[in-house]
Amino acid sequence: MIGFIKKDLAMIKSNFKLLGVLMVVYAIMGFMDKMDISFILPFMCVMIMISSFSYDNYNKWDAYSISLPNGRKNSVKSKYITTIFMTLMVAIITTLLSFIISYVNTQTIPYEQILVTMFGTVFGTLLVLTIMYPIIYKFGVEKARIGIFLLVFGIVMIGSLLASYIDLSNVLKFLSFLEDYLIIIFIIIAIIMVYGSYKISENIFRKKEF
Amino acid sequence: MENALEVKNLCKKYDHFELKNVSFTLPKGMIMGFIGENGAGKTTTIKAILDIIQSYSGEIKIFGLDNREYDKEIKEDIGVVLDDMFFPEILTPNDIDHTMQGIYKNWDTKMFHDYLKEFSLLPNKQIKTFSKGMRKKLEIVTALSHHPKLLILDEPTSGLDPVARSEVIQIFQSILEKDDCSILLSSHITTDLEHIADYITFINHGEIILSKTTDELLNKYGIVKCTEKEFRTIDKKDYIKYKKSKYEYEVLVPNQKEFKTKYNISTIDKITLDDLMVLMIKGEEE
Repeated sequence: MIGFIKKDLAMIKSNFKLLGVLMVVYAIMGFMDKMDISFILPFMCVMIMISSFSYDNYNKWDAYSISLPNGRKNSVKSKYITTIFMTLMVAIITTLLSFIISYVNTQTIPYEQILVTMFGTVFGTLLVLTIMYPIIYKFGVEKARIGIFLLVFGIVMIGSLLASYIDLSNVLKFLSFLEDYLIIIFIIIAIIMVYGSYKISENIFRKKEF
Repeated sequence: MENALEVKNLCKKYDHFELKNVSFTLPKGMIMGFIGENGAGKTTTIKAILDIIQSYSGEIKIFGLDNREYDKEIKEDIGVVLDDMFFPEILTPNDIDHTMQGIYKNWDTKMFHDYLKEFSLLPNKQIKTFSKGMRKKLEIVTALSHHPKLLILDEPTSGLDPVARSEVIQIFQSILEKDDCSILLSSHITTDLEHIADYITFINHGEIILSKTTDELLNKYGIVKCTEKEFRTIDKKDYIKYKKSKYEYEVLVPNQKEFKTKYNISTIDKITLDDLMVLMIKGEEE
């Protein structure tokens, strides 16, 4: 298992520089009190990991990985663990950076808002992972890219249709009722959706022919 | 004798191709050459052995254990080289070393780096900068560096120049002597197999048409070269296949000695695996 994670990390190590550059850009913009791009950083982790699927596919790694001990299981598991680990690490570093920026700029952005923004970003990133990875395992990276475009388009369309029929103030009232438990609820939802996505991907990969 | 690998009645159906009751046995400590033309079913058989393809029927036992039930245990002791399947090419041999340390219990970093040095492969260069031959060598080095008991090698010498091929073959032989390893080796380069293989298994159109010791094949089988008139005197039971060329008939016989005593045809040549493949595939049965 550790070996598969090491391989994934080795594959994306060249992208760490890009993440570093983005963090510097974020810090500069933050200190200058310009646009907040902190949400991009954890999201980049998923995009970088998706590129690792392309490399795997090009060199037929997946078939080779099955010839290794526990390859079918660990190949999928390592993708999820590496992505989650990277996302959380980048989210923590970005949050700390945001705190420093806010402190230096005498709390232009409240600490609470930083935490909420980062929490939402991590949740959104995990949602993308949840949807994308099973599609990638089923149809490959190229088709998955088209799939995610259609999916996002569909969600936006359905969302805007629902918004025109549902009174949003009622939804907000309901959410304020849950306010104290909102973070826990979202953490539970995130765990369930990522675990479900992992199980689906594992199942697809287990039955896959190469 | 204990067997390293047993394949019994392996069947797998695709739209335009199928493996039909593929069966053969590789005894422990032996090398088996797995031959056949392109698309004959060599890679499909190897993929089934490694469980890379699914929904096949039949029984595959490695070290006496079912390949699917004991997947993890078995794969700890198998080294593989697969045709065109390997690590992503942005990785370096050093990355492979670190990865494999976390995958194989018996991964031997020193052995891996010794082999890299022997094959002049730079440990910190990305695989994409390697030539085809160098990549193949790296795949072989990776397959060897965890002291496997069984090596499954699909075209391991393709893309290698004669010098590198000879180096690789020597390594296979030394491993066999030292570690009591068994090898299933599929190759188009049949001359390599003539030198090292103890057994030859021949697959054609998804069917095993022959699985024998190399000695028996190369010493017992023969090619009779004769005229059409002479050919007409040969009983159908005494030959396997024949090929008609412009001036003569080439007839594959299963026992040269017996043939000599029975017929008065003097030109009987020893067979090579290339001859065998050509005659078995292109020859006629009458």
